[in-house]
Amino acid sequence: MVDYDANRIGRADEVTDPGPVTAERVAGFGQPTGESSPLYTDEEAAKRGPNGTIVAPPSYAITFRNGRQFFEHIPRFGRQGFDAGKDVEFVAPIRPGDTITLSSHVKEIYEKTGRTGSMVFVVVRSTLKNQNDETVAHVDHRFMSRT
Amino acid sequence: MAEPTRSYQDVKIGDALGPEELFLAKDQVRAYARTTGMWVPRFTDDEGARKEGLPGMITPGNMSLALLSKLVTDWIGASAARLVRVGTTYRQPVLPDHTIVLHGFVTHTNDADRTAEMDIWIENEDAERLVIGTATVQFAKS
Repeated sequence: MVDYDANRIGRADEVTDPGPVTAERVAGFGQPTGESSPLYTDEEAAKRGPNGTIVAPPSYAITFRNGRQFFEHIPRFGRQGFDAGKDVEFVAPIRPGDTITLSSHVKEIYEKTGRTGSMVFVVVRSTLKNQNDETVAHVDHRFMSRT
Repeated sequence: MAEPTRSYQDVKIGDALGPEELFLAKDQVRAYARTTGMWVPRFTDDEGARKEGLPGMITPGNMSLALLSKLVTDWIGASAARLVRVGTTYRQPVLPDHTIVLHGFVTHTNDADRTAEMDIWIENEDAERLVIGTATVQFAKS
């Protein structure tokens, strides 16, 4: 059983400075993954679409990250950690002109033993809000370390 | 090609998403890393990645999630529906300069809230599942 301060769970650690969303960044984000839907790049097509304006692809939500100081507060176990996966809830579209803040806390810490040995998972829950204090996404990041 | 249009009633358990085959080039991965502020050796440079104990540069997990999200939003197309959730588990590194195949199929539909759940995953050339996950699509109320 790994040792950590249980008071870390649930405690809000950081709210980032607002990160701007621009049409250029949205279009640039889509190119490496082949996102070609006009809903993300074409104003006229987007006006006729379900959102009425250009929006970012849903996965744009996971490009917002915590600052380096946040990870100084994350319990560390064993050797270097890896991104083990994510669970993302897309609540509302992100649009060019929005500014997004990220509020994060340690949600859960748990251990697993698999074929390759013992692992510790730290789950960080991030909530993304826009300039109107509307939630646009929740992201659970799972970080894995080997003990 | 016209975007697909489907209603909730059209969706059946077992309906397939893709498969979509694509060659994931190193420069494509580097472009994603640059665009998303992830310009670190493990995602951009083979030698730098090997110093971290990796076989070479790898694809960011976020990019794998983005590709699988696109698989689902392409399936949604022009339908009155939206992707509301995606979850991924990174089982093995996705190595650039290889062909990957994106797969999915509908596993569950819920009439009460008009949602469709699906399994989604990325396979390598040996049909090994490198990234697995699930997604939920919400169809508009009629």
